[in-house]
Amino acid sequence: MASYNTNEFRSGLKLMIDGDPYAIVDNEVVKPGKGQAFNRIKVKNLKTGRVVERTYKSGESVEAADVMDTDLQYLYNDGEQWHFMHPETFEQIAADQSAVGDAAKWLKEQDMCTITLWNGSPLLVTPPNFVVLTVADTDPGLKGDTSGGGGKPATMETGAVIQVPLFIQIGEELKIDTRTAKYVSRAKD
Amino acid sequence: MQYIRCFFEQREILEVDTPVLSAAAITDPFIESFQTRYIPLTRKMPAEHYYLHSSPEFPMKRLLAAGSGSIYQIAKVFRQGEVGSRHNPEFTLLEWYRDGWDHHQLMQEVEQLLTELLTPHVQLGASCFMSYQQVFEKVMAINPHTAPMDDLCACADKFDLSGVLDKSDHRDRFLELLFSHVIEPALGTEAETGKACICFVYHYPASQASLARIGQENGIAVARRFEIFINGLELGNGFHELNNAQEQRARFTADNQTRQQMGLTERPLDENFLAALDLLPDCAGVAIGIERLLMVMSQAAHINKVINFPFERA
Repeated sequence: MASYNTNEFRSGLKLMIDGDPYAIVDNEVVKPGKGQAFNRIKVKNLKTGRVVERTYKSGESVEAADVMDTDLQYLYNDGEQWHFMHPETFEQIAADQSAVGDAAKWLKEQDMCTITLWNGSPLLVTPPNFVVLTVADTDPGLKGDTSGGGGKPATMETGAVIQVPLFIQIGEELKIDTRTAKYVSRAKD
Repeated sequence: MQYIRCFFEQREILEVDTPVLSAAAITDPFIESFQTRYIPLTRKMPAEHYYLHSSPEFPMKRLLAAGSGSIYQIAKVFRQGEVGSRHNPEFTLLEWYRDGWDHHQLMQEVEQLLTELLTPHVQLGASCFMSYQQVFEKVMAINPHTAPMDDLCACADKFDLSGVLDKSDHRDRFLELLFSHVIEPALGTEAETGKACICFVYHYPASQASLARIGQENGIAVARRFEIFINGLELGNGFHELNNAQEQRARFTADNQTRQQMGLTERPLDENFLAALDLLPDCAGVAIGIERLLMVMSQAAHINKVINFPFERA
C-alpha cells in the first residue's frame, strides 16, 4: 500500500485516516527548539466534508488514499443514478445520490464536471464553478424596474432556486456561481 | 540589531565571532545539522566532512573556558528540515553568556532586554515565571516528573491526541507532545487581559537537560534550563551551563545511541569542546531567535514575513 512520509505533507495530499479518505487542507510543523517534532494537519473528510485536526510524529508514514480527480461530461439522470462520460475514451461512470449530493441541482446535460474517484468509484461530484441555466419559473417582474435593487426567487431548469434581480424573465439564460449559489449575470451569447 | 548591540555595549559584554563550519556536530537526536565536504585544492587528499553549526554554543564556551568573560554573538545558524510558519532552515540566533551567573539571574536580564525591545511595538502585560512542573499542574493537573506513563497516555487522550504516540515511546515524547500542543499555545498571553507577555518556563525534566546542569528541587532532579515564550511562540532557550566534561560526554554518547535507534547517523563528538569544558567557569547562557522576535514585534503570523528571501526563494 502506498504511503506518504510526514515530510511529504502538503495541501491537497490525499490520506487514509480511520478508513476514510481525507485531503490535507493545512500542514503545520510543530517543532520545539529541543525535542520531538510533530506535524499538525487540518484534513477534510472527502465523504462528509468535515474538517478535523490530526497530529503525527514527524518521520512517520501515513497510508495514501487512492483518490483521483477526473473531468467527465454529465449525460443524464435515470432517476437513481447520474451518468457521466469521459469525453475521449467514452468510458461511462454512474454516481449515486451520496456522491452527487448538492451538486445535483447544478448538473446540466453536457456540462463538464470534476468527479473525485476513490478506489475507482465516484466519491464526490463537483459542478463547474460557473454554469449557464435557463429560468424555468419566476414571478413576472414589474415593468420598468431595471435597477438591481430588489430580488426575487427564480427556479432554474435543473430545479435549483436562486435569488435573481427583478428584471429577469422566464426563459432567460443566466450565469450562476455554483460555489455561492448566486446569480452572476445574464448569459452573453 | 543596533539596539541589541547597544544593550550589550552598555553592559560591557564583548561581541565575538566564531566559525560556522565545524568538524563536529551537535548530537541532539532532534536537531539535524547540514553536512558539507571540504575538498583540498590538489584533490589528492580524501574529502573531509564538515558541518554548518546549529548554534555557536560550543566555540563560545571554549572562549569562556579560555577566560573571555561574558560574551555575546549574533550568528546565522542552520538546521535541516525545519520549514514552516515558525521555521526557516537558516535563521539568526542571538546568543550570550554571563560569567558567574546562574539561570535565574539570566532570566531577569532576558526579561529586561525583551521588555526594552518590545515595548515600543507591543503592549506587554506582566511577565510570568513558572516551573515546568507548575505549568503541567496548572493546565492538566499532573506532575510531569512523577506521573506514571498511564496518566500521560490518558492525558494525551483527553486532549484529543490519542494515537499520536504509543506506549513504547519515551515519556519525554509524551511530555513534549502535551507541552507543544496543549500548554505552549497559551503561554505568553496574559489570561485576564489577553495582552502579550514574556513567559519563562524553567526546570525541565533532568532527561531533557541537554547542556544544562542538573539540580535538586524539592527532592526531584531537574535540568537548570529555561525557555521563553510570547504569544504562544517559543523565542529562546537558556541554561545554567554544565561544566563537567565527563557527564557531558556521557550525554553525547547516549544521544548518539538514541540517534542510532532512530535510524539517524551518529555525530562525531566535539573533542575540542569537551577538552575545554572542565575549565568553563560557572556561567549561564541563552539563545534567542531573532526572526521570532521580529515576528512578535511586527505581529507577523508567518516567519516568511520577516525574512527578505525565505528558504523557498533563497
